[in-house]
Amino acid sequence: MISFLRIEKFVNALAEKVNWVASAAVAFIMFLTVADVIGRLFGRPVPGTFELVGFVGAVIISFALPYTSVRNGHIAVDVLMMRMPWLVRVIVYAVNAFVSMVLFGIIAWQSVIYANSLMASGEVSPTLQMPVYPFIYGVAVGCGMLCVVLFIEFLRQFRGAEIE
Amino acid sequence: MSPTTIGVIGLLALVVLLFSRMPVGFLMALIGFIGFGSIVSYDSALSLVAKDVFAVFASYNLTVIPLFVLMGQIAFHAGISSRLFDTAYKFIGHLPGGLAIATIGACAAFSAICGSTNATAATMAAATLPEMKRYNYKPELATGVVAAGGGLGILIPPSVIFIVYGILTEQSIGKLFISGILPGILLTVFFIAAILIWVTLRPELGPKGPKSTWKERIASLPGTVEILVIFVFVMGGLFAGLFTPTEAGGMGAFATLVVAIVKRNIDWKGFVQALEETTRISAMIMVIVAGATIFGHFLAVSRIPYDIASWISSFNLPPWAIMSIIIGIYLVGGCFIDSLALIMLTIPIFYPVVLHYGFDPIWFGVIIVLVTQMGVITPPVGVNVYVVGGVARDVPLHVIFKGAMPLLIAMVILTFLLIPFPQLATYLPSLVK
Repeated sequence: MISFLRIEKFVNALAEKVNWVASAAVAFIMFLTVADVIGRLFGRPVPGTFELVGFVGAVIISFALPYTSVRNGHIAVDVLMMRMPWLVRVIVYAVNAFVSMVLFGIIAWQSVIYANSLMASGEVSPTLQMPVYPFIYGVAVGCGMLCVVLFIEFLRQFRGAEIE
Repeated sequence: MSPTTIGVIGLLALVVLLFSRMPVGFLMALIGFIGFGSIVSYDSALSLVAKDVFAVFASYNLTVIPLFVLMGQIAFHAGISSRLFDTAYKFIGHLPGGLAIATIGACAAFSAICGSTNATAATMAAATLPEMKRYNYKPELATGVVAAGGGLGILIPPSVIFIVYGILTEQSIGKLFISGILPGILLTVFFIAAILIWVTLRPELGPKGPKSTWKERIASLPGTVEILVIFVFVMGGLFAGLFTPTEAGGMGAFATLVVAIVKRNIDWKGFVQALEETTRISAMIMVIVAGATIFGHFLAVSRIPYDIASWISSFNLPPWAIMSIIIGIYLVGGCFIDSLALIMLTIPIFYPVVLHYGFDPIWFGVIIVLVTQMGVITPPVGVNVYVVGGVARDVPLHVIFKGAMPLLIAMVILTFLLIPFPQLATYLPSLVK
């Protein structure tokens, strides 16, 4: 079981590192919009800001997803479960984590397919002529990482049951 | 099975499974995926989820959320929230219930740069509860005021709920923001009146504090005027059409950062923490938006929204009765579900009805924000009460719920005022082109 704890620690630390990318991306879009607005005052806006802010926004959210889950940061209704005996809770939480894992597995897998198809068709953004697919791979990476976090959460339920 | 039957099963499954504590956004995406798959085909459902998720995450309009969240986070880490309270307290702390009134005032001011009700409640709880305890305020008054005061965070712009509502209904976010100003100020006044009546009836709740001199009062002002300057700059630029909402968010966050750096109120560590909190809150919100988008596509192919709209019209009820039913549904729903999730879930269903009966979309936005803000302080799921309870660990939840009651009455009164006087919400936006 020590090995499980080590894996859990490793996954959490990795999720936190992935989250740093999201933090940096937030700062980036702030500075980018400011540069664009100020540049516009002098007749020199930053070209492609509109596209870039949206694409980087996708990186922010998908890279922040795993660590948000690690920190139990998603909105959920716990009025009923709080009042349930521990065995019911453990079973329900395990099912939840497993189902969510499958869901984000599907999203990650389909994002890869979506990105591949856009890469093949050579889809680029209108102003910067920048390929769109790398950002969709970014979403796939974030959702894939969330999948791993949810798998750990699933396993942890059994550990909790063992301790009780 | 007909699409409508599948739609009904999907809706029921959603309501029941919400109580399993699965994250609301995950659940909406899951049921939306299964439902869309069973009505159309699983091949299209598979490509739908990836496309919806990317479309939402990469939406330029939605990046306004992280930017306005960042603005509030920087203000919090720079200690602006506690300085707002200090100033308000120096002016009115000597009155009975004065600290509670100062808390409401600080909530109103802080919400001018913070777009989230929970964040406002959490921030102000941390800043004001210790002070109120020090002056022997009863926990009932102190915690109730902070929990309800968070509601101002979402009525006074910027407001995450208005952003999401605006995107869902294709209404101008700028107009929605400005529509919340007057009701927000009114609600502040009503909250203060509620506190005054309350402490008159039960003076032991909020004893008088020490009186500050005018010199001290004036000296406390420089810590707070920058809020006003930033607010006027951001909202002014938005209304004058100088920037888009996203740009307003970016400029506002940057201006707050510059002020904090110049006044040496924030260091590198504080800035990094603000960024990290921003990513967490944004991911939490956007997962719900993405889940609701997938669920919305499922509802659309199930034809449920149209069925409900024609079902409601078949009763031939007068518009006010329809509106009362809708408000009632939000009130009950708000007691159980987070306000953002509730709005995402119900707007596709109710919005066509609201338009059909000729209600003003902007006015309706203000109404549902008010009504869902009642939900965050009513049992059993009062998110703000939980948030405040998390800060004040020694106060039982039922005490906080009880403490928020007088302020809840103030919100009910404002809602009833808005029905005969929609101009309260629609007049200011009508001035903007």
